[in-house]
Amino acid sequence: MDIDDILADVSREGEPQESRDLQELTRAWVAERVAPEILPYPDALMDRVLERIRRQIELVEEQTGNMDPKTNFRLIVIQTELERFKFLVRSFLRARIAKIDKHPLHILQTASTHLSTSESHYITAHQALLSTHYHSSFLSQFPAALQRLDDTAGGISMVDTPDTDAAVFCRALRDVGVISVEGTERAFEMKRGDCWVVRWNAVRERVLAGEVELI
Amino acid sequence: MALPLPPGLTPPEIAFLCEMELVTVIPRQRLEGLDLLGGPTPTLIPPHRSNIPLWFALLLKRQRRANIAPPPWLHPTSLAAILQFETEKSTDAFSPPPRLPPSADGSNTTSPPFLPFSVVDAAADALPYHWLELGEILLEAAPDDFEEPDQVRRLMRDLREVRMAKLRAGVDVLDAGGGFKMNGVGGMEVAEGRAFIGGVIDGLRKIGASREQQRRDREREERENGYTATTDDDDDDQMDM
Repeated sequence: MDIDDILADVSREGEPQESRDLQELTRAWVAERVAPEILPYPDALMDRVLERIRRQIELVEEQTGNMDPKTNFRLIVIQTELERFKFLVRSFLRARIAKIDKHPLHILQTASTHLSTSESHYITAHQALLSTHYHSSFLSQFPAALQRLDDTAGGISMVDTPDTDAAVFCRALRDVGVISVEGTERAFEMKRGDCWVVRWNAVRERVLAGEVELI
Repeated sequence: MALPLPPGLTPPEIAFLCEMELVTVIPRQRLEGLDLLGGPTPTLIPPHRSNIPLWFALLLKRQRRANIAPPPWLHPTSLAAILQFETEKSTDAFSPPPRLPPSADGSNTTSPPFLPFSVVDAAADALPYHWLELGEILLEAAPDDFEEPDQVRRLMRDLREVRMAKLRAGVDVLDAGGGFKMNGVGGMEVAEGRAFIGGVIDGLRKIGASREQQRRDREREERENGYTATTDDDDDDQMDM
């Protein structure tokens, strides 16, 4: 361990939780915007971030009455940052809702543990509404054998699934060793800082483990 | 409400990310440190330099409360040197990104935009991930903080063209398997190339899907039977197609 490593360790540990949460949230947002399928909901992180946003809004509300120009400018800075955070959180959640709307049956069947409580409520309520609507408007007039929305007969599944082989851009956060692409002869080594275009399937586990980030 | 955008960050979103980069400001007014959601900011005392996120620096700049010190790689001499490297030494790959801070046990996973690659004491000989966005934003918001903004603008344009040409030339090596290394690529370049590169790889994959499926099935069989297929099988596959 040389002096650089020691310095790096110290600065890493000295970093406040807030900064680390911002980095984590940013990474989660980018990943959710890029990845073809829904990723696990970061419960603890979102709890912390939402709680902080709530406190910051209270602070702004309390101090808006203060007309002192110095406080005023501080408030402008605080509000600017607040808006940036709100954008991150909103865009993150909206990207997730877009995926939920696109592949609801697939998510209900395979990835329901990746959803937050409100997302689970949303998907079940929304699916119930949809199927009742379909049923009352036309499905009930079909023969009973054709009424299902998740039929897999004939080797073809009716359930839309995300394309998990889609190509993504990613960056290695540490040396992750050899990545091999299933179905081809392609295998390569990813070192820290390397940027690659690969199939989502090939790096999925590494992204979930936090060793690779999507860009 | 669901986000109506396709997967992949759009250029405005990349610029938003870029605004989290740390830059160095020379404050003109004293400003106490603030407890922001993303961590505390340093107390700004003129004329001491401080490192703060770009969005904050832009706010101070707009109100003429601070000047922004451009990062060393954005000086004309550094840009000219990088441009020369891109055109003469490394004709088919991007110039290497800045050296990452050490991480002995792999615990330091900080990545752009949170690495201090654009502060005053950053490296001068390498373009960071958000080089294009950061350069454009600074030239737009703080041209008076540059010594020769027009020269910088010209060099940035040259660099951009050289690198875009490389990105386009790289299309030749794309294939269905993916696995295409692009070290040193910039955030905006990723955004620009994503739809095309991703589209080509995905399109080629769909064309070769049946062949790949056969291969996958065969590999699975081999794993189960402990039997290694001979190369003759490949010819048979071709006949089937």
